[in-house]
This record gives sequence, C-alpha cells and structure tokens, in this order.
Amino acid sequence: MDDKQDQLLPIANVGRVMKQRLPPTARVSKEAKQRMQECATEFISFVTGEASSKCRTENRKTVNGDDVCWALSSLGFDDYADAIVRYLHKYREAEKANQKKATDTDKVNKDEESSHTGSQAVQQQTDQIPEPTLEFRLWNLDLLAQKIKAFDSLYQPPASD
Amino acid sequence: MRQAGTYSGLLSGGLSGRTGPHSLPLARIKKIMKKSGDDVKMISGEAPILFSKACELFIEELTQRSWMMTIQGKRRTLHKEDVASAVMATDILDFLVNLVSNSSHSMDNPVEVETIATSKS
Repeated sequence: MDDKQDQLLPIANVGRVMKQRLPPTARVSKEAKQRMQECATEFISFVTGEASSKCRTENRKTVNGDDVCWALSSLGFDDYADAIVRYLHKYREAEKANQKKATDTDKVNKDEESSHTGSQAVQQQTDQIPEPTLEFRLWNLDLLAQKIKAFDSLYQPPASD
Repeated sequence: MRQAGTYSGLLSGGLSGRTGPHSLPLARIKKIMKKSGDDVKMISGEAPILFSKACELFIEELTQRSWMMTIQGKRRTLHKEDVASAVMATDILDFLVNLVSNSSHSMDNPVEVETIATSKS
C-alpha cells in the first residue's frame, strides 16, 4: 500500500493547497483528498505526456520548461500556461542572478555557459540550463496573441501582404 | 514580458504568496513525470518547479469547483463525489473522467459514515 502512496503527490501537501481555497469552516473528507491526490498526479502525467510527445517530434531528449508551458496551453489550460510562462521567466532570471553571484568570485562572468554551481538541489539530472532566449520571448507574445485570437471572433488572420 | 500585469499578483502574493519554497515536493513530481511514459528520458531542472506551481493552480481550481458542488448540495464537507461532479462539468478535465468514475478504490479506509444524497437524479 505504501508503494501506491509513493507514486502520488503527498496527501498532506494536497490537503494544504485545498484548504487555501476553502473557507475556514469548510471540511474535506479523507476520500476527497485522496481523489484530489490522484487527479493532480494524473494531471502531471497527462501534461508530461504531451510535452514529451513534442520533444520526440522535435528529436529532443530533455523535457524542459518551455515544453511544459506549451503542453499546458495545448491541452486547454491557457490560464495556467500564461501564469507559468511568467513564473518560468522569473525563475530563470533568479537562477541567472544566483549563478552570477556564485561564479563571480573566481571566474570572469560568462553569460552564455554558466557553471551549474547554484541550484544543485533542483538540478540532479539536468541536461542543461536553458536561457531566456529571444525565441522564448517571442513565443510568450505568440501565446498572448493566441489567447486574444480565441476570444476575438472577429479577428482575421493577416493576409500575406 | 516587463509589465506588471494581471499575473504579478499571482506570482508574488495572489495564490501561494511565495516563489521560494515549493508547496509540492520536487522529487516526487519528477518521479511522476518519469513514470508518465517510456519516452520521458530526461527532465530539466525547471520542469518540476513549473509543475509544482501548475499543480497548485490545478488543485485550487478543482477544489473551488468541487466546493461549488458541495454548496449546491447544502453541505459543509467536501466529498469525493463533489470532485467527480466538478470533473464532469468541466470540459478540460475530460482526462479525469475515468479516474473519478472508477469507484473501485484500492484505497481502503471507509472513513465516511454518512451517505451522500446527491440532488441529481
């Protein structure tokens, strides 16, 4: 039985997040938490599957943050995708700042290939540290544009002028 | 994206109020990601971090929708049937339909003593 628990998100964490959205007097049955555990776990698998499918199509081995953002949007979780894209951007900026601090002491700052001294705790089997490229930024804008498109039924794709 | 728009609140103070410690364990998320398919070979360090945030959003939304079902049933305890109803009522949660309608739980513990009289017939 413990095996199964090991494959799901921890129920304590799930329960805590649930409580954030409920009035203080609300109660949650244990089975409801278990159900939520399973749903959230399935959500991860579902989105990862989509992201990994994209990687396979593009002959890439590593599922990265951009793929996760893309998969969220592709599966209809547009609102999450928007929030996550910004979160990713912030995270990358913070990571860069951290690494710059770490490498500043003995190395000349190399903006391109920084060494992985900073966030070892989170990057156990990392392939590489992606950087906020121009491509990523343009893709951000593209996501926004898609959202606008979806809402605006009068929008017409520009003719090739 | 430079402007502080709708989402800056989301990131800094809206939902979880922090970007530092994550509400869901990264190692476990990574494990779940790896198990999702044979072709998932390598996962970048940032992916579990993003999922930690995305899952938080997901759980919050599903909880909110489930709670609406609870209130409709004039109850104050959120039951698993409320989660099931919320899933059925939401298009993008179609991938969960089989999961919530599968009542044969390998989870034992019949904790709930009260039976739910669902208003739907």
